[in-house]
Amino acid sequence: MNKVSNCWIFGESAAALPDLVSGALELAESVDAVIVGDKTEAAKALQAGCGKVYLIAEQGDTILEDYCATIQALIAREKPRLFILKTTKRTRLIAGRLAAAARTSVITDITNLSTDGKTITGEHMVYGGSAHRLEKCGDGLCLALVGEGIFTGPPAPAVSAGEIIEIAFIEPPRKAKLLERKPIAGEAVNLAVAKKVVGIGRGIQKKEDVALAQALAQALGAEIACTRPIAEGENWLARERYIGVSGAMLKPDYYFAIGISGQIQHMVGVNNAKTIISINSDKNAPIFKLSDYGLVADLYSALPKLMEKL
Amino acid sequence: MNVIACYKIVPEEQDIMVKSDRTLDTSKAELKLGQYDLPAIEAAVNAVQESGGKVSLLSAGGKEIDNSKLIKGALSRGPDDLYLIIDPAIKEADANQTAAVLAAAARKIGFDLIICGEGSSDIYAMQVGAQLGEQLGVNVFNAVKNIKPQNGAIVIERSLEQEIEVLEAPLPAVISVTTDINLPRIPQLKEILAAGKKPVTKWGLSELGVTVANPVEVVSTLAPECKERKQIILEGDSDDIIDSFLQNIRKEL
Repeated sequence: MNKVSNCWIFGESAAALPDLVSGALELAESVDAVIVGDKTEAAKALQAGCGKVYLIAEQGDTILEDYCATIQALIAREKPRLFILKTTKRTRLIAGRLAAAARTSVITDITNLSTDGKTITGEHMVYGGSAHRLEKCGDGLCLALVGEGIFTGPPAPAVSAGEIIEIAFIEPPRKAKLLERKPIAGEAVNLAVAKKVVGIGRGIQKKEDVALAQALAQALGAEIACTRPIAEGENWLARERYIGVSGAMLKPDYYFAIGISGQIQHMVGVNNAKTIISINSDKNAPIFKLSDYGLVADLYSALPKLMEKL
Repeated sequence: MNVIACYKIVPEEQDIMVKSDRTLDTSKAELKLGQYDLPAIEAAVNAVQESGGKVSLLSAGGKEIDNSKLIKGALSRGPDDLYLIIDPAIKEADANQTAAVLAAAARKIGFDLIICGEGSSDIYAMQVGAQLGEQLGVNVFNAVKNIKPQNGAIVIERSLEQEIEVLEAPLPAVISVTTDINLPRIPQLKEILAAGKKPVTKWGLSELGVTVANPVEVVSTLAPECKERKQIILEGDSDDIIDSFLQNIRKEL
């Protein structure tokens, strides 16, 4: 048998469940979900292929982190072998707190998770993408944080004999007071699933020039993305649009790099692109060694000409 | 309010060499303060400036962290003193064990608030803050982009995927701050000179009564296998070149 017997899953939003179930079923015979919400949401989890749903009724005036104590107690009682959480900022904190209570560490930002039925190993990037680290969980609980685009299998069939188990909420020993919630008027962009992506880097000299690359992206029907400095230093594009070890990880059909030198921290995010195309003025830029098709040219003169001929 | 800011000494990633067997050689890499820890130190200094109190720095690692240039580099950023936990075993400690070492030290130092960076710049698992707070049994939050001390509590803003969340958390607490919480200072000569006179306390693991035994085992750390790329590169922006380039890429678009 090359699967563990059972795996738990948890995600901040219900939309995360189908991918988690399908990925978890590759590793475990059965998959159970921990859900904070109501019976409708629990039923959806059964529909998505979970065998059991541990349902914690949503309480008023709480944040998701306030359910940690309840989930910690549930883990101590049921002793799951593997618990996969979909990465968000909240689940990163929650996973860390669950791990501390179970005296273990989380394997985070997993690029590959596997088991031989006994041991569970996870792979993730370290040193800004310079290396992949393989880690092996101990015999107890294995906690794994998995991001977007890692589990991409087909949806699992619904489990007909699924079961909903209601779990009593345990009041957390400490709590912060929720003062306010302000939705971010951010862009809803999911680069991880984009098939065509145009990326910009430092070769773009000023904010107005981003339009050049945007026009190309639009003409190609591609998403626009960038390196970290363009989003975090310059704020020319939304943070959701930067690619790299701390940003989005892509698997597009092609990545079209405009004015990108090819630093490893960025390139790890696009190494899985089927094809890499690049334009850069410096012929010694590392990007050309990492490209299928490259053009050494000033992007300010080459891009408009290219657009004309497209 | 007594604040502890944590930092990690990491190798400069640009200096890391890949050996022929794909293992990494960090021996020639210069050591530096983790880039995500600088905003944590700055935030601690700013918080105490507002509320009064003391800022201590805390770092754990192998003997390489006991380096006068690195120590001055950290203390010149405004804190009052520094605690170093030194043991070769800490170098390979995972998040759970690193947090256990820091927790033991923090209990001994005493604190109202501990500030960590978003993650270490080498491993970047973003887990030590969460583990540290839970192990200490205090309030713990990540993704903090604003801190306001307020009679025995802190009001924090968390920058989450879909929302900004404002919380009032009673102290003691542990928080991890984002890189955009502030612009870390560039220490001036005067601050660097003053840093040399600030107290530094060094402890070993035995003085804290902890040992390091990782629950998660590192099997290997290898540079990724490079995908073979065609590397068909053209040079110039004449019509002919652009045409050939377009011909090359058209079937991919």
